[in-house]
Amino acid sequence: MGEPVGEAELVERFPWVQISHDNKHLYRGWLERELRINRCRDCGRFHHPPKPICPECWSWQIEPTPVSGRGVVHLAMFLRQGAPAPGVDYAVAPHPVVTVELEEQPGLRFTSTVAGAPLEQIRIGLPVELEWIDRYGAPFPAFRPRRGGR
Amino acid sequence: MPAPQSARRYPIRDQIAIVGIGSTEFSRDAGGRSPASLACEAAIQAIHDAGMAKGDIDGVVGVAEPGAPRANQMTALLELPSVTHHSAPMPVAMFGLIDAMTAIWSGQCDSVLLYFAFTRLPWNSRSAARDPLRRYLMLGSGTAKPPMPESIDPAAAYTAWASRYVHEFGARREDFGRVALNMRANAMQNPKAVMKTPLTMEAYLAARMVRDPLCMLDMDVPIDGADAFVLTTTERAKRTTRSPVVVHAASAGVVGRNDEDQLPSLARHGQHVVVESLKARGEFWLDDVDVFFPYDGFSIITLGWIENVGYCKPGGAGRFLQEHWDAKSGRVLIGGRVPMNPHGGSLSEGASRGSGHLREAVTQLRGDAGPRQVANARTALIGCGGFFFNSQGALLRRL
Repeated sequence: MGEPVGEAELVERFPWVQISHDNKHLYRGWLERELRINRCRDCGRFHHPPKPICPECWSWQIEPTPVSGRGVVHLAMFLRQGAPAPGVDYAVAPHPVVTVELEEQPGLRFTSTVAGAPLEQIRIGLPVELEWIDRYGAPFPAFRPRRGGR
Repeated sequence: MPAPQSARRYPIRDQIAIVGIGSTEFSRDAGGRSPASLACEAAIQAIHDAGMAKGDIDGVVGVAEPGAPRANQMTALLELPSVTHHSAPMPVAMFGLIDAMTAIWSGQCDSVLLYFAFTRLPWNSRSAARDPLRRYLMLGSGTAKPPMPESIDPAAAYTAWASRYVHEFGARREDFGRVALNMRANAMQNPKAVMKTPLTMEAYLAARMVRDPLCMLDMDVPIDGADAFVLTTTERAKRTTRSPVVVHAASAGVVGRNDEDQLPSLARHGQHVVVESLKARGEFWLDDVDVFFPYDGFSIITLGWIENVGYCKPGGAGRFLQEHWDAKSGRVLIGGRVPMNPHGGSLSEGASRGSGHLREAVTQLRGDAGPRQVANARTALIGCGGFFFNSQGALLRRL
């Protein structure tokens, strides 16, 4: 693991992201293939996207905390057109985008794609887990159906 | 839910009148005209319609649409001699209405020009992408980052929550389709509308899918065009207008968790806050509403408004549209009486982000809607904006 990457390098690794002091920990986590969601040290609540305070109790004691990446699909759509990305060809197949409710906390959600699953399997209610894929040479957190469906 | 804190105290009720309206035709290509040119046309019409002249306008509220002139630029375009309030609220339309109302009521100014100018953008229109004079409006041309396919920006987020609506209530594509069909049938009675060819359910079901579960006809149509309004005190309006149209109540609404994918649920978002607020502030509701204007930037938003204002239960909008369908005119008539967006809405009149809804509400309440006039229309309910950060609404009435 070693030293966390500097801010200049972080911006270079994620040219499509508006890196800020509030979200830089999330993206540093990606480089180490770890999904880190902000958690409040005082009240214990997770929140996402990253904010400078805990929106629940207004504490400043925010800690980017690794989560399991396990959850259940809450919203699911299939894009027939959209922004370009390597490996995404809308002419070949619709691109799935899912919002997953993470098992750590009700209502805590993370949005990404589903990799390596037949489209007909991707439905609201599907149990999923993290699957790191590559996006422009940097790790990118996606989901895959949970093995055994549990 | 508790009533809003302002419920006991709503001094602006009925105090602000809309005394002038103006608008261009809405088109898919205004030819060699700039957004400023369109805004000027609508603004001059509205000021003349109000029976006012340059020197009467001392407030300018210009909604911050891409490419539209800013309020100070509009003041320069019209050479308004002396303006004491100008601002650039975000879309959609009621933010501008509410800003204009509060500016007048508080005494910052007496009469406001409120305008909206729309220009098709290179990312939402192929012909606009080919137009060299629109190149500066390209996304990513400034400091903005290019989006990723997984960006849950507002457009994609409506589709995402539409998937939840289908999941929770077993909604069918026909339920969304009836929203589109209603708007098209209404637009065919509106000379300003951009979409005037008949639409059938077969054609809706065959339309190109854009982001499943929504298709091209679930999304509003980008246009070139402009709307403008003049607002002043009801007191002044009574001296100059026979039966002025006044804003009975208006409200924005947003919940704490409004990040698109973190919204609590379809049962609790900005529209619910708006409805609670309007019901507490206003003195009439659905039984006394003559014309209904639910926002339709996406068809799912319309289904949400129908349910959330209380015409039916959550998940019941599809059935409601079916039950209140007027087969003869191919559109909705609630209780055989109340039409829904008689101008054709954003889906078929064109994507004016609510200014078309507001203009048609005033037109109907003045009795000036010609062949699409609702008999004796005295009240209108506008549910504007979507679920996340721009839910808002207004009750209008004719004095």
